[in-house]
Amino acid sequence: MSLENCFRILAKYYPSFLLGIRTTLIVSLSGTLIGLVIGLLVGGFRAVRLDKTAPKETRYLKNAIDISLKIYIEFFRGTPMMVQAVFIYYMVYTNIVHWDKMIAAVVVISINTGAYMSEIIRSGIQSVDPGQNEAARSLGMSSMQTMMDVILPQAIRNAFPAICNEFIVNIKDSSVLMIISITELMFQSNSVAGTTYRFTETYFVTAMIYLLMTSMSSFLFHHIELRMNHTKTSFPQSDTNFYSMKIAKEKTQ
Amino acid sequence: MSVIEIKNVKKSFEGNVVLSDISFNVEKGEVVCLIGASGSGKSTLLRCINLLEDIDEGQITVLGQDIGKLHNINEYRKKVGMVFQQFNLFNNMNVLDNCMLAQTRVLKKSKEEARKEAIRQLEKVGLSDFINAYPATLSGGQKQRVAIARALCMDPEILLFDEPTSALDPEMVGEVLNVIRELAEEDMTMIIVTHEMKFAADVSDKVIFMDDGIILEEGTPFEIFNHPKNERTRQFLARIIS
Repeated sequence: MSLENCFRILAKYYPSFLLGIRTTLIVSLSGTLIGLVIGLLVGGFRAVRLDKTAPKETRYLKNAIDISLKIYIEFFRGTPMMVQAVFIYYMVYTNIVHWDKMIAAVVVISINTGAYMSEIIRSGIQSVDPGQNEAARSLGMSSMQTMMDVILPQAIRNAFPAICNEFIVNIKDSSVLMIISITELMFQSNSVAGTTYRFTETYFVTAMIYLLMTSMSSFLFHHIELRMNHTKTSFPQSDTNFYSMKIAKEKTQ
Repeated sequence: MSVIEIKNVKKSFEGNVVLSDISFNVEKGEVVCLIGASGSGKSTLLRCINLLEDIDEGQITVLGQDIGKLHNINEYRKKVGMVFQQFNLFNNMNVLDNCMLAQTRVLKKSKEEARKEAIRQLEKVGLSDFINAYPATLSGGQKQRVAIARALCMDPEILLFDEPTSALDPEMVGEVLNVIRELAEEDMTMIIVTHEMKFAADVSDKVIFMDDGIILEEGTPFEIFNHPKNERTRQFLARIIS
C-alpha cells in the first residue's frame, strides 16, 4: 500500500465517495433524529408512573403497552442491524408494498436507533433529581405536565452526550445497509475497490473518510454541549441585567 | 371546624413504623411547628398531608375533605403549598419561569397575569431583581425564598414547610425565617417542620414535639419550651438549646 495510490484513487473516484458520504449522512442524520423522537415517546411513556387514583383500566393498558415497548427494545437491541435491514426490507417488499430502498434504510435505522434512544432517555429521566418531580406535583401539576415541562428538558440535557454518541455510531453502522443496496459510503467503496483492484488503498481512504466524519461530529457536539452547560452555571442575560443584579446584591447585604 | 384534622394516622415503610397513631388539629390562620429528633417522623407526616406519601391507617381531613378519597389530587394540591428542604427549584428555568409555570399550567392563567403575580410574590421575598437568574447561580437562602414565592403564586390556603432552613448556611437562615415570619403575621395557615427552636418559639401558635412516630407533647410555645412536662422533651430541648 502506498499513500500515493490512495491519493490517486481519491482524485479519480472522489465523485463516488462524495455520493456515498451524502447518502451516509442523510441516512444516519435522519435515522438519529427520528430515533430520538421514538426514544422520547417510548422512554417518556415508560418512565411515567400512574397516580394511585388512576382507574384499573388505565393501569392495565399502561402495563400492556409497557410490556410491548420492552419487547420492541429487546428485539432491536438484541439482533444485528444487518439482519433487521434485510428482514424488514423483504418483509414489507413481498407482503405489503414495493417500497423505495432509501425509505427502507431510514425506517430500519430509525427504529433501531429508537430502541437505544428509549433506554438513553429513560436513564436520563432517572438521573433527574426526584425532588424536581415532587416540587412540580406539589404545585398541582399533572404527571404529564411535569414530564413535559420539568423532567424531559433536564433529562435531554443530561443525556445529550449519549444522544450524540448515537449519531456517531449511526455514521459507522449505516455501512451495514449496503446489504439492501443502499449506495452509502461503504457500498461506493466496494465498487471503487472492485474497479481498481486496489483493495487496501481504497478501504484505507474509506476508513479515513469515516474517521473524518465522526471526529468532526464529535467536535461539533462538544461545542454544543459547552454552550448548553454555559446557561447552567452563569447568567444568560445581558450585561445591563447583570449589573442591576450586582447592585441589588449590594443593597441586600 | 379545623382546617386540618389528623386522626390516628399510621404509616410504616416495609415494616419500619414511622408514624404510630398521630392525631392533631390545625385551625385556620394557625402556625404549627413540628419539632423533634431526626427520624421521629416529622417530615413523613408533612409529606402525607400533601399526598407525597400514602398513609396506612387513619384519616386526614383538609378543608373538609378526606384526602384519602380525593378524585383529583391536583385540584387538592394547588390549595396546599409545600416548601422543601432541598428547595427543588426547576433547574431548567429561570426564577420568573419557576414562579409562572404552575400558574399557567394548573391555574390556567394568562402569561401576563402569571407574570404579574410572580413579580408581586418575588418582590415580597425581596428577589424581584433576580427574575432572570437561574437556580444554579443563586445562594441557598435566595433559592429557598424563590421556592416560597413559587408556592405563594398558587395562592394556597395552607403552606407546609419541610425543614426550610436545614440545608442553608447559618448566615442565610435569617432571611428565610423572616419571610416565613411575615407570612405568619398575615395569618397564613402553616405547618413548619424545623430545628430552629428560637424561631419556633417566636412564630408558632402551637408546638408539637414528636418522638419515634408519636406526639409526646403538644402545647403553646411557652408550655413546651419553658415548662415541658415530658422527660424526653426536656432532654431534647436541653441538648438542642445548649
